[in-house]
Amino acid sequence: MFELLTSMFKEEWRMHSTMFGNLNFALFPVLIFGIAFMGAFLIPLIRTIMDLSLLVLLVHAGFVLMGIMVGSFGLMGKEIMNRRFGQASLLAYSARSLPVSEKKLFLNFVIKDIVYYFFLWVMPFCGGLILASPFLGMGLYYPLLVLLTLTLSFLTGLCAVFLLSSGYSRSKKAFAIVIVIMAALAALFIFGFNGGITALLPPLAVFYSLSAETLAVSVGLILALFALSMIFFTSEYQSSEKHYKNRHTPLSRRLARLPAHDLVAKDFIDLYRSGIGIGQMIFSFLLPLVLIWVMLSLMGGFLSEVKLLMIFAVVTGVIASTMYTWLTEFDAIASYMFLPLQMSSVMKAKIESFAILQIIPILFLTGIALFSGTLVYLPHALVLSLSVSFYALAVAVRLCGLSPSSLIYSAKVFLTYLLMIGPPTIILIILAFINPVLACAGILLLFPAQYLLESGYAKWDAADFAGF
Amino acid sequence: MQSAITTNTLTKCFGDLKAVDSVTLSVKKGSLFGLLGQNGSGKTTMIKMLTGQMKPSSGTAQVLGTDPSTEPVAVRQVVGIIPEQETPPSFLTSEEYLSLVGKIRNLEDIEEKSQWWFDYLDFGDKKDVLCKDLSRGTRQKLMFAQAFLHKPELALIDEPLINLDPVMQRKVKRFLTDYVKSGNTIFLSTHILEIAEDICTDFAILHKGKLLHTGTVKELTDKNIHLDDFFMDLVERGPMDV
Repeated sequence: MFELLTSMFKEEWRMHSTMFGNLNFALFPVLIFGIAFMGAFLIPLIRTIMDLSLLVLLVHAGFVLMGIMVGSFGLMGKEIMNRRFGQASLLAYSARSLPVSEKKLFLNFVIKDIVYYFFLWVMPFCGGLILASPFLGMGLYYPLLVLLTLTLSFLTGLCAVFLLSSGYSRSKKAFAIVIVIMAALAALFIFGFNGGITALLPPLAVFYSLSAETLAVSVGLILALFALSMIFFTSEYQSSEKHYKNRHTPLSRRLARLPAHDLVAKDFIDLYRSGIGIGQMIFSFLLPLVLIWVMLSLMGGFLSEVKLLMIFAVVTGVIASTMYTWLTEFDAIASYMFLPLQMSSVMKAKIESFAILQIIPILFLTGIALFSGTLVYLPHALVLSLSVSFYALAVAVRLCGLSPSSLIYSAKVFLTYLLMIGPPTIILIILAFINPVLACAGILLLFPAQYLLESGYAKWDAADFAGF
Repeated sequence: MQSAITTNTLTKCFGDLKAVDSVTLSVKKGSLFGLLGQNGSGKTTMIKMLTGQMKPSSGTAQVLGTDPSTEPVAVRQVVGIIPEQETPPSFLTSEEYLSLVGKIRNLEDIEEKSQWWFDYLDFGDKKDVLCKDLSRGTRQKLMFAQAFLHKPELALIDEPLINLDPVMQRKVKRFLTDYVKSGNTIFLSTHILEIAEDICTDFAILHKGKLLHTGTVKELTDKNIHLDDFFMDLVERGPMDV
C-alpha cells in the first residue's frame, strides 16, 4: 500500500518535471512562497481600498477553486495525457493489470493528490504568510489559522469534484442528481438558515469563529463528500462504439469566411463531442465567475455598482483568456506535425476559435450589467474585458504555445505570466475607478498583444517539437 | 540515378546523447528503402529530421530537393508521413479526419479518394466512428490512408505494419511494392527484418545512432545471406563487408 503511494508521488513529480525540468518545477512552490511573503506586506495597503473580509473570501474561494482544478486534472489525467503525449499510463488506471482493488487505488490516488498539492500550493502560500507575520506585527495565530482554513477550503473543492466525477462515471443522470442536491443544500444553508456565504463555505466559519463545532462541520463536510465519492466510485466507464454524422464538412463550409475554417470547425466539434465545452464552461468559467460576482456583490456597500462591474470585467477577461486552454486540451501536437502545417497555423486557428468563444463572456457580462442596473457602462466594461482577455491570450501564446495547461507549472513561465498580466490589469482597474470611460484605455493592450502574438508564432515555429 | 533523399553527416543530440550520429546516406528515387535498427537506434529521430518535425544539431538533409530544416511545410506538402504512434484527432470520425487532411492538402474529390481507402483497407464500417474509439489496427489503417491520400512522390513510414493482422499486412506490402513500381519512393523504418527482406530494394542499418551499412537486398540474396543474419552479425560484431 505504502509502496503504491510512494510510486504515485514519483509518478506525479516526474510527470511535471519531465515537462519543464526538475529545477524549474521545484522552484514553483518557492515562487508561491515568495509571492505570498511579499503579498503579505501589501495587506495594509489593500485594507485601505478593500474590506479585509472580501480579501479573506477571495483567498478562500481561490483555494476551493484550486481543489476543483487539481481534482479535475487528476481524474481526467489519463485522457489528457493520452491526448497530449500520444500514449500514457498512470498507476491510478492500472487496476486491471495490478492485483489491487480499484477502490484502494483510488484511495491512494486521493491521498497522493492531497499531500502532493498541499506541499505544492497550500503550504508554500501559508509559509509565506507565516514568515511575513512577525514583520507585520501580526502574531502567529492568524497565519496558522489561515493554514488550517485554506487547507480545509482546498480539500472541500477537491472532494466536491471527486464526488461529481464519481457520479458522472456512474451515469450522467447520477451526475445531474448530485449537482442538484449540492445546489439545493447550498441554497438551503444560505437562505434557509440565513447562514450567508460562511454556510456555503464552512472553512470561512472556522476562520471567523474557531470552535469545535465549526471545525466539525467543515471536516464533516469534507468527509461526507469523500465517503460518498468512494461509494459511487467505479472504474467501469461505459464505452460503446457510437456512430456520428459527418459534421465537419458542413460546419467548415458555414465558417468559410474564417481563414482557418477547417481547423476551427474541428475545434468546435472537439468541444461539443468531448463534453469539455460544456464542462469547462460550467466549472472553469460560469461557476468561478458567479462565485466571484456573489462575493463582490456582498461588498456592495463598500464599492459602487459601476466599480464592481469594472472589477468584474477585468476578472471576466482574465478567466475568459483561459478558454485558449480549453482548445488545446484535445490533441497531442504530434497530430499536426506530420501534416503540412506550421505550429503558428494551428495557433492562429485556435485564436480564431477563441475569438468566437468570446461571445460567452460578452453575454455573461451583459447579463451582469442588466442584473446590476449598470447597462449604461456595458460598452466600457466589454471593451475592458475583451482587451484584457485578448492580451492575456497573447501572453499565454507567447509563453506556452499550444501547451498552456502544462507549461504554466514552470516557475519561470508562471512568474513571467503573472508579471505580464498583473500590472496592466491593476492599472486598468485604477483608471476605470477614476472614470469608467477610461476603461476604454484597455484597447491599448491590443498593441502589445499583437506584438506578443507575432513573436510567439516565430518562437514556436522555430522550436523543436518536444513531445507535448 | 536521382536521389529522393540525401543526408550529409546528419546529427541530432539530446544533451549528451547522440541519437543520430553523422549519418550520410542517399535514397534513390523509385526505391523501397528500409532503415533498420533496434529500438532506440535513432530511426524515428531520422524520420522526424527528414520531415522537418525536428531540427538537426548539425549536418544537412535534402528531401525531394528541399531542406526540411528550413522549409518543413514545403517538405510535408509533397511527402506522406505515417508516424510511429497513430494519433488521429480523438473526436473526429475517420471520414471527417480524412476530409480535414484532404482540405489541409488542398485536394479535390476528397470523398471519392477517402472512399477508395475505406474500401481498399476494408474499414468502411468504421468511417463514422470517433478516432478515439477505433482499435489500434484501424487507426493504423486510417494513418495509412491519410499518408497516401494525395498520392505522394515519397512516403516516409515509421513501423508500417506493426498493428495490422496478417491478411492486411500482405495487402499493405503488395500496395507498397506496387507503389514503388509506379515510380514513387518509400522510406520505411522498422525493426522487423522479415518485412524489410520481403519488400525492400535497398536498406541501411542504424545502430546507436551510427550508420553501420547501406546496400541492396539483392546483394545479400545473391550471396545467399539472410538479412536477419547479416543484421545480427553487424550489430553484435561490428561492420563487415558484404
